[in-house]
Amino acid sequence: MKDVILVQRRIPRCSESENQRKLAELRELARAGNYNVVQEVIQTRYPDRQYQIGKGKAEEVAELALSQKPAKIIFYNPLSVTQVYNLSEMCKCEVIDKFQLILEIFASRATTRRSRMQVELARLEYELPRARKIVSLLKMEERPGFMGLGGYEDSYEQDVKKRISRIKKELSTGQRDSENLRGYRHSKGFSLLSLAGYTNAGKSTLFRTLVDENVEVENMLFTTLSPTTRYLNINGRWTLLTDTVGFIEDLPHFLVDAFRSTLEDVFRADIILLVVDISEPVDVIRKKLAVSHGIFWEQLEKATIITAINKADRLSHEELSSRLKSIAYLAPNPVVVSATTGEGLDELKDIIYAHLPEWKRFTLELPMSGETMSAVSWLFEEGIVHSVNYGNTVVMDVEARNEVYHKAKSLEKRLSFR
Amino acid sequence: MERIIAVDISGRHRHNSRYLMVCAAVSLSVSGGHVKQIHGVNIKPFVSDNPPEVVDVVKMIERTVEGMEGITIVAEEGDLFNQPEWLSNSMFTASFKYPESLSERMGIEIAHHISLSSRNLLLDPQSWEPIKENL
Repeated sequence: MKDVILVQRRIPRCSESENQRKLAELRELARAGNYNVVQEVIQTRYPDRQYQIGKGKAEEVAELALSQKPAKIIFYNPLSVTQVYNLSEMCKCEVIDKFQLILEIFASRATTRRSRMQVELARLEYELPRARKIVSLLKMEERPGFMGLGGYEDSYEQDVKKRISRIKKELSTGQRDSENLRGYRHSKGFSLLSLAGYTNAGKSTLFRTLVDENVEVENMLFTTLSPTTRYLNINGRWTLLTDTVGFIEDLPHFLVDAFRSTLEDVFRADIILLVVDISEPVDVIRKKLAVSHGIFWEQLEKATIITAINKADRLSHEELSSRLKSIAYLAPNPVVVSATTGEGLDELKDIIYAHLPEWKRFTLELPMSGETMSAVSWLFEEGIVHSVNYGNTVVMDVEARNEVYHKAKSLEKRLSFR
Repeated sequence: MERIIAVDISGRHRHNSRYLMVCAAVSLSVSGGHVKQIHGVNIKPFVSDNPPEVVDVVKMIERTVEGMEGITIVAEEGDLFNQPEWLSNSMFTASFKYPESLSERMGIEIAHHISLSSRNLLLDPQSWEPIKENL
């Protein structure tokens, strides 16, 4: 584990608890990036153009960097290229901001080719507006030769742009494939469920408990980067449950764009299970729910939201009910669950079942024949067969989606006329 | 279920050397994900020679919501010049907040469409179409 110093510039008259929460989030991110926090520096002031924090405070950070010898200095506030340059010159140490840290984490967790491309895209989009400045700052010390003979600002920026368009093209091909896959899954009668929510809310644990499978679960931010989809049987109906990347406050647009295809699994679902960690302080929960609602508002097409109030086992009944009351206005269709103990999962399944696209329940009477037997097995695959009576005719009580109902009824008509 | 007044102001840009603004306020009952009921709508036009400042925005909103039923006024952060919530809240006599839930955002969207279409209507008096030729 490498040592780091965290720096946060706080806005004057901003609430203390909010500042604390933001710093805690940065601490968690640093931990997720496999860093050890040795020192935290805080200053309350309006931003400085040269150093983000005041010059005096920057010198203080430089002294700390000299004595502690950290691998990096991580700022909570977004830094301009000039600020990064000035600070790293002064501190003689690599200086990054929260977004670069997130990019680092994403890069280290990306395992599939697709997610690696998404990370690369996010990195390039972050770098593009800075490309010119980076080159001009590097040129201050270097003579011709940066990026090859005579290759200066324009060529570097052009190069970044070219790489962005190439990656986007490749990603869009993959996106078409996943759209087709989603359409196919829908046409086969699967309802799509997605787990969404703030990072570290317990989505993967809930996923693992629901589908009864070992998915990587860790008490760390951004454990899940690539979506994982599994079958889930909800009271007899087959659905597909997808575990996705968690949300984060002030999620920068370049990250949302880069991970659009990942997040689209959330936005195109029939039902979204919005997972909330109820053991956190109420104002934090509220803020996180508001962030999630904000992301849904911009992207959501048509989906029912069910709020899975997770980690309920960590609270007493009184505490739980008072917290539920204060977040009720932000929690549509709330269900109290505990992914670790399994408490409330049956209620969760019931409420999911109630919101699944409606299926028709009907009776089918078919004459005994070879074709009927294949129809019976087809109905077992496509719907829920509540009962089958074999006599002179085969009488079935079936529940299935509309297309299957119409097909079955026309088959019944055709076979009974023979 | 929560009772709110969603507010939006249209026309905060110069038009023929004046600022012609319409503020719409919609009183709603909302749950976490849905607008349950719309209780009423108030629309009020305002005119100014100078661009509106925060205090003007607060005044316009308070004048528009007068007499409406609702516990909290909800408006977009941008309408209040992206001030911190506590600062905006302290400027209103009623309770005020920025939207959090989907339904609160939906309320503001309704208010936005009302204020925008009302302003368009007011700016174009020629748009009155006769139903019969002799009118």
